[in-house]
Amino acid sequence: MTDQQTTDVAEPEEETSNLPPKVPRLPPGEWMKKNLFSSVGNSILTVVFVLVILAITRGLLGFAFSPERRWDATATNMRLLFAGAYPQNQFVRMWVSLGIVVALGGLSTGVWRAGGRMYLTSLLLKGYGVGGAVVLVGILAPFSGSARLSYFLVGGLLIAASFAVQSATDEDTTVGTLAVGLVGVSIAVGSFWVIPYGHHAFIDGAQVVSDGTVAATTKGPLTVMVILAVLTYFLGREIADRVDAGWPRKVLSLSWLASPVVIVFFVLRDPDFDYGHIATTEVPIFLAYAVGGGLLLFALASPRIGEVGRIIAAVTLIAAAATFLTPMLQVIRILALMLAVFALAAPTFSGNRAARLRYVTVWAGVVLGLLWLITAINSPATVESNSSFFTGGLALTLIVASFTMILSFPLGVILALARTSNMPLFRVMSTTYIEFVRGVPFITILIFFSVLFPLFLPENMEVTEIAAVTIGFTLFSAAYMAENVRGGLQSIRRGQYEAAEALGMTTAQKTVFIILPQALRVSIPPLVGQTIGTYKETSLLAIIGLFDLLFVARSLIPNQTSFIGSVREQLLFASVIYWMGAYAMSRASQNLERKLGVGER
Amino acid sequence: MSDAASASVRDLSGATNMIECEGVSKWYGDFQALNSVSATIKEQEVVVVLGPSGSGKSTWIRCINKLEHHQEGRIVVDGVELTNDLRNIEKIRSEVGMVFQQFNLFPHLTVLDNITLAPIWVRKKPRGEAESAARALLDRVGIPEQADKYPGQLSGGQQQRVAIARALAMEPRVMLFDEPTSALDPEMIKEVLDVMKGLARSGMTMIVVTHEMGFAREVADRIIFMEDGMIVEVGTPEHFFTNPTEDRTKLFLSQIL
Repeated sequence: MTDQQTTDVAEPEEETSNLPPKVPRLPPGEWMKKNLFSSVGNSILTVVFVLVILAITRGLLGFAFSPERRWDATATNMRLLFAGAYPQNQFVRMWVSLGIVVALGGLSTGVWRAGGRMYLTSLLLKGYGVGGAVVLVGILAPFSGSARLSYFLVGGLLIAASFAVQSATDEDTTVGTLAVGLVGVSIAVGSFWVIPYGHHAFIDGAQVVSDGTVAATTKGPLTVMVILAVLTYFLGREIADRVDAGWPRKVLSLSWLASPVVIVFFVLRDPDFDYGHIATTEVPIFLAYAVGGGLLLFALASPRIGEVGRIIAAVTLIAAAATFLTPMLQVIRILALMLAVFALAAPTFSGNRAARLRYVTVWAGVVLGLLWLITAINSPATVESNSSFFTGGLALTLIVASFTMILSFPLGVILALARTSNMPLFRVMSTTYIEFVRGVPFITILIFFSVLFPLFLPENMEVTEIAAVTIGFTLFSAAYMAENVRGGLQSIRRGQYEAAEALGMTTAQKTVFIILPQALRVSIPPLVGQTIGTYKETSLLAIIGLFDLLFVARSLIPNQTSFIGSVREQLLFASVIYWMGAYAMSRASQNLERKLGVGER
Repeated sequence: MSDAASASVRDLSGATNMIECEGVSKWYGDFQALNSVSATIKEQEVVVVLGPSGSGKSTWIRCINKLEHHQEGRIVVDGVELTNDLRNIEKIRSEVGMVFQQFNLFPHLTVLDNITLAPIWVRKKPRGEAESAARALLDRVGIPEQADKYPGQLSGGQQQRVAIARALAMEPRVMLFDEPTSALDPEMIKEVLDVMKGLARSGMTMIVVTHEMGFAREVADRIIFMEDGMIVEVGTPEHFFTNPTEDRTKLFLSQIL
C-alpha cells in the first residue's frame, strides 16, 4: 500500500529502497549559525539555555554518582522491583512469560517484515552524540581522577570509532535498523558476561554481595531471550516467504491479544491447579455453546430464513432472560445472553457459506474468550507462597495495565456507541454511567472494588484481589475511553453516514464497516494517552495494599535494614522504568498512526 | 446532437410510473423547504431538476430515498410507499442509487472494497461475484486500473466515477444525482457527465440535480424548474430553453445563460 503512494512521487530508481530522498546536511558551523545564533536575542537565549541545561545535568549527575548513593540497594532488590515477592523456585515462569512476548515480537517482526534501513551517517551522528555525552559526564560528574579518565577514554574511543567508520565508508551506505538494534542489545547483554558489575541479591533472606559478573540466573535467561528473538525473527521471515502473509498475520494478532491471558495463566497458576474442574465444567459448556450455538447461528445467518429467524432470535433472548430465574452457573447465563445478541444480529451479517462460517467462528472465539476470562476471575490464584501478595513490582503493574487496556477498549467503544445512539434507553444509561464514573475519584472506585465488590458477588463465587481491582480499573478506564471514541465518532462527516444509508446498509453494518474504522483511527492519540495514564495510575495499587513497582521502590526497599533511607535512588530508578514503558507505547502509537494513515489525504 | 433529438422525442407514455410524489412538503423549523411538490417520473425517464440555490432541489431528491423525512404528502417508489417502517426504507434504499456532490466515498477502503461492500453485505452476493461485477463497473466508468487504490489517491473526477460505480453495483432501478459535478474542477466535469450520458442511454431512470445546462439540454427527457420549494415549470428541454412560460424561469435562464 505504501508502495503505491511512493511510486506516485518518487523516481523509479528510488523504488528499491524505502528511504526518503536525502536532504543535504549543513556543515555544523553553518547549522549552528542558522539555528542557534541567527540574531542577538537568539544568541543570548542559546547561551542561557545551554548554561541552565549544564547546571541541571551537573546536579543530576552529582546526585546519581555521589558516593553516598546506595545503588547497591537497587541492584540487590532487582527481583523485588520486577516481580515482587514471587517465589524463587517458581521464577522460571516469569522468564517463560517474557519468552512468550519475545517470541511473539520476533515472529511479528519477521512476518510483517518490519524494520527498514537507515543511513550509516545518521547512525554515526548518534555515535558522535553519545561519545560527546560520555565525555560530558566525565567532566561534570563528581568522579575521582582515574574514573574521570576512563570516561574520557570511552567517549573518545566512541568518537574516534565513528570518525574512522565515516571516513572508511561511502556517504550513501545504509544499515538495517534491526541489525543496529540487535548489536546494541547483544553488547548490553554480552557485557553481563564480561564486565564485573558485581553480584547483589537476597538469597533466602540473606544478603549476598560478591564481585564478579552478574548472577547466572539473570544473564543466562537474558541471553536466551536474545537468541530466541533472533531465531523467531528468521522463523517469521521464513513463514512469510513460504505462505500468503494473510493468515500468519491473523494468527499472530490473535496470539498477541491472547498473550496476557496465557501469561497470567502461567504466572498465577500452580501445578496443582484444578484441571479436573475445567474438564468437567468449562470444556462441556464451551462445546455445548460453540457447537449448539454455532449450528443455531449458522442457520440464522442464512439470507433466506426471513421472519422465522427473527422469531427464533426473540425466543433465544427470552430463554436467556429466563436463565436468571433459576440458580445456575453465571457462565451459562452470560453466554446465553451473548448467544441471544449474536442471534439478533445474525441477519445483518448473513451471507453465503463463507460469511456464515466466519460468523460462527467469531461466535466460537467469543465463547472461548469469555470462558477463559471468567475462569481466570473465578479461581483464586494458588502459587505456593507464604505471602498472599506474591505478585508485585513491575509484573503486577504490567498485568493490571495490560488487562485494563484489552478489556476497557471494547467496553469503551460500546459505551460510546450507546451514548451516540438514537435509542434513548441506551443513551441515558451510557451517559449516566460515564458521567458518574468521571465524577468519582479513582481511589474511591479502587477501594470499592478491593473491599466491597467481593461482598456483592453471588454465592460460591470469589475473585482474586488482582481480578477485582482490574475490573475496577477497567470500568473506570472504559468511561474515559468512551469519551475519546465519542470524539472520534463526532469527527466523521455526515456524508459518510448518508452514503452508507443510501446503499441500504443497516445501522449495525454502517457502524461496523464505515463509522468505527474511521472513528477509531482518529481516536488513536487520545486512546493511547488514556492507556499511558492507566499504566501510570497502577501506582495507586499501593493504596489498597498491593505491592506495585512504585510501592516497592518507595516503601519496601528504604525500610530494609541494610538500605534504610535509600528512597531517592529507588524513585529515580522507578521513574526510568515507568518512562521506558510510556515512551515505548507512545512510539508504538505513532507507528500505528502512520500505518493507518494510508489512503487518507 | 442526434442523440439529443432522439432523447427528447422518446415516447415514454406507455412506461410504468417509477416515482410518484404527491403534495410533498417539508419544514426545517419554521422554514418551509418543500411546498407541496407533486411529480411523476416514469421508468427509463431522465429528469433534470434546475433552480437557484436553496430552491429545495436537493431536499426533494433526498426525500425520495428518505435521507430527509418529508412531513406531508406521499412518495411512492416502484410501487412501495415511503413510510417510517425501517425495513421498508432499507428496501427502497437498495433500489435507489444516490450520487452525492461531495462523492462521500469511504476513505478507509480501497476502490474495490468501496464498490463491493454493499453488494456483499446488503445484497448478500458472494464476494467473488461482487468483485467481478465491481471490476466490470469500473471498466464501464473508465477507470479499471484504479481498483486497488484508496479514494484519497484519486482525482475528483475519478472519485465521482467510483461513486457512480458504487451506486450501480447495487443494481438500482433509479439513480439520484445530487449536483454530481459541482465540487469538480472544470476539466473533470466532462468525464463524469460522459458516464452519466452513457447511463441515460442505457435506459436507467435518473433524477439529476445539476447546474450543467448543456447536459440538461442534451440528455433530459423532461426538465423540472424549482424555486422556493415549489415546482415552477415542467417541460421538455426544447420548451424550457427556447420558450419558457413562467417569468421566474425566464429570469433564471437570463442569469445563467
